[in-house]
Amino acid sequence: MDELDLRIRNHVYASFVEDGRARTPEEVAAALGLAEGEVAAAYRRLDDAHALVLEPASTEILMLNPFSTVETQHRVETGGRAWFANCAWDALGIPAALHTDGVVESVCADCGEHLELRVSDGKLAQGADLLVHFVVPARQWWDDIAFT
Amino acid sequence: MVFLRSEEHLERWLGANGWDPGATMTAATLNELARLWWWTRLDPAWRPRTPAESQAILDELGLIGEFWRLA
Repeated sequence: MDELDLRIRNHVYASFVEDGRARTPEEVAAALGLAEGEVAAAYRRLDDAHALVLEPASTEILMLNPFSTVETQHRVETGGRAWFANCAWDALGIPAALHTDGVVESVCADCGEHLELRVSDGKLAQGADLLVHFVVPARQWWDDIAFT
Repeated sequence: MVFLRSEEHLERWLGANGWDPGATMTAATLNELARLWWWTRLDPAWRPRTPAESQAILDELGLIGEFWRLA
């Protein structure tokens, strides 16, 4: 991953955290003084490197892990703001990435019952005994990251 | 990865989907993993971890064995 890709990646993450909106290559190109095609190519390289996840055959960003750019069953509140996460791991990753407390609202995958977990000072103050299950072995996580 | 209320719910969920059991941990352990894994994600000096660095995080939490091998 070269410096240009990192610069684009950092801009995409920072702008998403600022207002919760994933930028298009056109917007990033305008903000950083680059050509749109150059940014689109960087998006594809970043996707290949698992530094972000694009929609299939598109330059539309689906995941800025641990953040999801679309609504999911894992909602996270931190500091008066709300986010969506891609999975249980990412849901707890959002307070970690933001270095803050947070409340995760999710559901039991079996029965659909509402679940609430609270992160306080880095510890899980509520929901610590809930279970998390990984179906996919680590080596195969990126074979189908949406399923994982 | 999903949350489940208990072992009973986990077993029913696996059975309903026809999946073999993978790996289970408590949300408390997952929170520790999340902190180690995502803590630097928004750091402007962020660089991709090497596979060995990622594996070391899993190892640190005792997530060892074939299921947790990244490569």
